[in-house]
Amino acid sequence: MRDNRAWLGVLPVLLIVAFSAVIPLMTVVNYSVQDIFDANTRIFVGLDWYRETLRDPRLQSALLRQILFSSLILALEIPLGILVAKSLPRAGRSVGLWLVLLAIPLLIPWNVVGTIWQLFARPDIGLLGATLQNLGFDYNYTAGTLDAWLTLLAMDVWHWTSLVALLAFAGLTAIPDAYYQAARLDGASRWQIFRHVELPRLTSVLTIAVLLRLMDSFMIYTEPFVLTGGGPGNSTTFLSQYLTSMAVGQFDLGPAAAFSVLYFLVVLLLCWLFYTSVMRNRDAD
Amino acid sequence: MRTRPHWLLYLYCVYLLVPIYWLINLSLRDNADILGSLSALPSDPSFANYLEIFSNPVWSSGFINSLSYVAINTVISLLVALPAAYAFSRYRFVGDRHLFFWLLSNRMAPPAVFLLPFFQLYSAIGLFDTHLAVALAHCLFTVPLAVWILEGFMASIPRSLDEMARIDGHSRSFFFFRIFLPAIRGGIGVTVFFCFMFSWVELLLARTLTGSSAKPIVVVMTRTVSASGVDWGVLAAAGVLTILPGLAVVYFVRNHLVRGFALGRV
Amino acid sequence: MAELLLSNLSHSYPGAGAPTLSGLNLRVASGEAHALLGSSGAGKSTLLNLLSGLLPASPGQLLLGGQDLADQPPSSRGVAQVFQFPVLYEAMSVLGNLAFPLRVMGMSRRDCRARARQMAEQLEIDHLLERRPTRLGLFEKQLVAIGKALVRPDLSLVLLDEPLTAAEPARKWRLRHTLKSLQRESGATMIYVTHDQTEALTFADRISVMHEGGILQTGSPEQLINAPTHEHVGYFVGTPGMNFLDARIESDVCLVGDVPFGSLVVSPGVCRIGFRPEWAKLAGAPAQTHSGSDWIIAADVISQRVLGTHRGVPFGLVDATVAGARIVTRQPLDEVPSGRAQLHLDTVRAFRQGWVVDA
Repeated sequence: MRDNRAWLGVLPVLLIVAFSAVIPLMTVVNYSVQDIFDANTRIFVGLDWYRETLRDPRLQSALLRQILFSSLILALEIPLGILVAKSLPRAGRSVGLWLVLLAIPLLIPWNVVGTIWQLFARPDIGLLGATLQNLGFDYNYTAGTLDAWLTLLAMDVWHWTSLVALLAFAGLTAIPDAYYQAARLDGASRWQIFRHVELPRLTSVLTIAVLLRLMDSFMIYTEPFVLTGGGPGNSTTFLSQYLTSMAVGQFDLGPAAAFSVLYFLVVLLLCWLFYTSVMRNRDAD
Repeated sequence: MRTRPHWLLYLYCVYLLVPIYWLINLSLRDNADILGSLSALPSDPSFANYLEIFSNPVWSSGFINSLSYVAINTVISLLVALPAAYAFSRYRFVGDRHLFFWLLSNRMAPPAVFLLPFFQLYSAIGLFDTHLAVALAHCLFTVPLAVWILEGFMASIPRSLDEMARIDGHSRSFFFFRIFLPAIRGGIGVTVFFCFMFSWVELLLARTLTGSSAKPIVVVMTRTVSASGVDWGVLAAAGVLTILPGLAVVYFVRNHLVRGFALGRV
Repeated sequence: MAELLLSNLSHSYPGAGAPTLSGLNLRVASGEAHALLGSSGAGKSTLLNLLSGLLPASPGQLLLGGQDLADQPPSSRGVAQVFQFPVLYEAMSVLGNLAFPLRVMGMSRRDCRARARQMAEQLEIDHLLERRPTRLGLFEKQLVAIGKALVRPDLSLVLLDEPLTAAEPARKWRLRHTLKSLQRESGATMIYVTHDQTEALTFADRISVMHEGGILQTGSPEQLINAPTHEHVGYFVGTPGMNFLDARIESDVCLVGDVPFGSLVVSPGVCRIGFRPEWAKLAGAPAQTHSGSDWIIAADVISQRVLGTHRGVPFGLVDATVAGARIVTRQPLDEVPSGRAQLHLDTVRAFRQGWVVDA
């Protein structure tokens, strides 16, 4: 039903989002094209900050670290999530219980995730840390880069694989039994069943999972901050943390703002991919 | 098809639960005991750490602050999202698809980008260090999500229900509150879950926008270093306490969750 | 292909009150086209799933080609199944779908494709070989599913579970025809489950009529039509089905509503008389009265429905009542009176508690 008065219903949302998003964004864009010396002295500098930001070597290394991290995350969490989804029972009373169990890591405040792994992986008080030390490994995630990365990866896998698993599970339960029956009669192996019956049905769900994990991992801040603080040195400083340190610590508004705008545009691109993929699924239903 | 889980599931759940178990373990022990020896089970378990949290105003106020702004955020998000979702699901109007996409993109915005402007904005209007500030800031993410989820649930209610109510002579508001809302209470449950989940777990904005009076628990936990070092026991206890509300919420909406996931709305 | 033998086969779903199948006995010859005919809930699909192995073993014996199927998993039974809706590999082309069962068997790539092409030609879908199932119509998809089921050279048994449900009537006829010729050519033992008697009667060499978990009668279409052994068979098979009248036998005379109808050498007692519309004729009442042993009884004609003409004479269905019960006859319509008439029967069967009583 076509009715432009429906805008009234949307008005409250627009107001809130304008307040929360539009005004701040405009502020950021504003700062990104000016050089601000103090409250009264501002010079329009055009795209200077952008150029400077893109050439910033610390930004570039943070970006590389981020890309490596996000790639590893996807490579680990997507296959594992699918495997976990396939291991879940499809019917029966226990299904709800398993889903709740899987959902637990998703409900924990992100800083507590960091704290849990701090308590777990520290060589002095942590079960994992102490066990590794006893086994002869010289393990310390605050001192060694490799240790820090491995611990971060283990933590993120622990934190987010359930999301992929739950999404994949939703996709798998939508497959009618007859498809499995037909494949069994054909004599298909388990791998063939996965490849020809399940995977085609999972593509839409997996696209959503990949994009969500990609976007969220690209914005990751709290967990690595709590666990390693970005260290040792810079080795686990990713984009969000670098931006935050620029914006809050150093009061360099211009470059921070330019960085913010670029960062936002990248995520916007990923989001657009997500949206078109979801809309395509919706139309296909 | 299958009703029993594969062994991989057990392995994975062990992986999930062991660090949490360790958290609970440490929460029941004294800090000196923790630093002194490593043991799988607390030799002298006590709730002293929990008592410390409940009695120490720094910790307890942290919890109260967090619960406050999460509740405020959930209420605002619902109030604002319901009419918008209704508009999106029932009507076509100029620019509706673009608006929907733009709303969605806000959910995906990196919080770090908004740090600076939020700080300045909320300071300027005198809302710095209040529950309302954090609640409103979180709306940036929770409102689009709420609109999206609710629209999905509303779209599955057939228009014929609206027609029937109108033919029966009910006013639009009667229809909305007495018929429509109960019909989508699953969707409202899922929305509450996600609003809660996002707002409760977020650190960056909550930290930026609060000072000492509205300090949330997430900040208290990250700044808990005292002169004698970190009290691991109390920290662990605080961690356990932050998990409980989430557990409770998911337990209550678990049936709606599965349906919500199945609709492809995350 | 192989012979199928069911002995005293039963099945109950866990938690269900009554058994779904009880004590089934059936023999299907090698290369036979056999139909399982029955309404929903008769147990046809359950039987099919037991044959394919998708349901685990039950009490009773299941022999295929002399081998007990109880321990054999579905993939090694040499059974193929076509479902009610097309079940295909959505991401593979039609050629890929047809060739897949052969690839799994280990056939060379070239042989697979050749045989798949051959099957596609027979089904007249060779122009669709490169397409994905998502780009095909429902009917064409089902053709692919049928081709995929018949493509294996090592088949013992082909099961079809109401495969034409989705097709429109015009195409149903063509598909039935194609299936029948495919079955003849390949010599496949086929079991075809349906609730549509026309499909069963035109496709099958022999039909088993199923009802409430049991097989009532197995026989050729002619046997089922001319000599039904159960009321339900008479009622279900034939368009329209058999007529039934409540009757009583006394001293070898059948009485309907206390009026003598005909002679029947059957033990005395209550029974039901069944006759097909084709075995009956309504005509005007002649002057002389009938004897009561020649199967003529008074009737009231209600209406006629013309079905067509036969040698210039219109024929069709006549609705009438006899002793208060509605009956239908199928006959030439030239001499049917309106109102008072007489019902003449050529053949009659007597039934007690559903089953035929032999005279």
